[in-house]
Amino acid sequence: MVRVEDLTVAYGGIEAVRGVSLEVGEGELVTLIGNNGAGKTSTLMAISGMAPIRSGRIVIDGEETTKLPPHAIVARGVAHCPEGRLVFGRLTVQENLRLGAYQRKDSAGVKQDLDRVYALFPRLLERRSQLAGTLSGGEQQMLAIGRALMSRPRLLMLDEPSLGLAPLIVQRIFSVIQQLHEEGVTILLVEQNAHLALTVADRAYVLETGEVRLAGPAKQLIDNPEVRKAYLSQ
Amino acid sequence: MFTPTYVAQQIINGVNLGSMYALIAIGLTMVYGLLRLINFAHGDLLMLGAYLGLLLVSAAFTPLILTLFIPMLVIGFVGILVERLAYRPLRGAPEVTMLITSLAVSSIIENSMVMTVTAQPRAFNLPAGVNQLHTVAGVSFSTLDALTVGLSVALMAALTLYVRNTRTGIAMRAAAENLRAARLMGIDINRVVMVAFFLGSMLAAAAGWLWAAKYSTVEPFMGFLPGLKAFVAAVIGGIGVIPGAVLGGYLLGFAEIFFVGFLPPAYSGYRDAFVFALLLLILLIRPNGILGASTEERA
Ligand SMILES: Nc1ncnc2c1ncn2[C@@H]1O[C@H](COP(=O)(O)OP(=O)(O)O)[C@@H](O)[C@H]1O
Ligand SMILES: [Mg+2]
Repeated sequence: MVRVEDLTVAYGGIEAVRGVSLEVGEGELVTLIGNNGAGKTSTLMAISGMAPIRSGRIVIDGEETTKLPPHAIVARGVAHCPEGRLVFGRLTVQENLRLGAYQRKDSAGVKQDLDRVYALFPRLLERRSQLAGTLSGGEQQMLAIGRALMSRPRLLMLDEPSLGLAPLIVQRIFSVIQQLHEEGVTILLVEQNAHLALTVADRAYVLETGEVRLAGPAKQLIDNPEVRKAYLSQ
Repeated sequence: MFTPTYVAQQIINGVNLGSMYALIAIGLTMVYGLLRLINFAHGDLLMLGAYLGLLLVSAAFTPLILTLFIPMLVIGFVGILVERLAYRPLRGAPEVTMLITSLAVSSIIENSMVMTVTAQPRAFNLPAGVNQLHTVAGVSFSTLDALTVGLSVALMAALTLYVRNTRTGIAMRAAAENLRAARLMGIDINRVVMVAFFLGSMLAAAAGWLWAAKYSTVEPFMGFLPGLKAFVAAVIGGIGVIPGAVLGGYLLGFAEIFFVGFLPPAYSGYRDAFVFALLLLILLIRPNGILGASTEERA
């Protein structure tokens, strides 16, 4: 579905991502773990057409998208739920969700997906006319995920969906991620909570200072001594 | 000394001036919200709109309403053109680069007008009926005053409906709040910016026509002061937020009229200084303007 080849992202002189290659196949749930500053967000932003790519290629469905603007990436079925949620605080919950479907023309389908998001997150339905800025952190994360789902994506990229949330809400969000995976949505999940991520994922990449350090099936990595030491603090 | 009719008269004048400031400020605030660009050329589009209006008014066979609507439409496209040629190549450049560029665009437009139509002010005379005075309960206003307020309110209401309810309008508000997140939604920012320039320039042209009609004159530098004051209005109201521009415009219009109308005539020469003092005062109390997002909200 998406392939990243030898990607280097640089902000001015700083190389945040150095020669990263990774792949997410149709229907897979792949996670990208690593410490703060490892280059996870930059990698997702590069796929979305939002990061300064110095070299390398991004290929979506066999077609190179390296130089395409973000709206063209969205048009190819990619939804990106960014780190820090970035909901539109001055817009209502429902307006936020509708923006997730900005490029869609099938209003009947959009309506259907709106109902589906409200069924997944009933809290959002209760608050649909409220300004998103008035929601709690957990509700904002649900809104950000719901907004990403509104494009009916084929590839869903989630950047730290558990960051700063209470355990109960994290559980809720991860059960939704698993449900989407079962429905066949391709997912690329970035997490600092490595244990949680490795539990739900099929495969994983471990990023360290901009480079892929380890890669493999999640079940293997979870038992890897190096991973256990560095990321699972065991 | 200040009779009720005098006060009412001042209120009418304040609404009048405020309407025009509000119309101009909306375009400035929309563009600033999207691009962080202080568009000094905005006042010059107002001026171009006024000249085009003059051209049509002089061709006496054009129905009056078209002498207003045609310039609005044309200047809307001129706004798109200015953005395409001057501002789009600078996307992502530092704010100060964009600011200098807009000053350059402004002086290019003004000087081109001086070269082609000279700096000589020209009379902008509407059919006599438009300046006819009506008196209601001792308060008098012209048909033009009523037209100014009615048209401004109608245009602002239409814009508000557009920005509230349409897909592009919602995208515009989203992009003004968080450009990166808006791009991640698949919004083509260039398209939204184009619509903002079109609508904002259209309103500036309407204000230019009304301004020219009110002062019965047009000249190449007529856009400078209204543009600057409308910018003050936008900042007072909270730059980037459309209702803020409207509120700021009316506030400034009233403040200016009341300053001149209720203080001894010796002070009236200081009205512009007063406007800027008011700006400083409001920003001391509300650094982001009256309706602007507080810093915590933005985080
Ligand atoms: N917009 C930016 N400008 C400059 N440096 C950045 C920017 N975004 C990220 N970086 C730097 O790039 C490196 C990787 O950051 P990031 O991709 O956010 O990592 P992660 O998501 O794994 O924490 C960090 O050193 C960070 O400081
Ligand atoms: Mg990150």
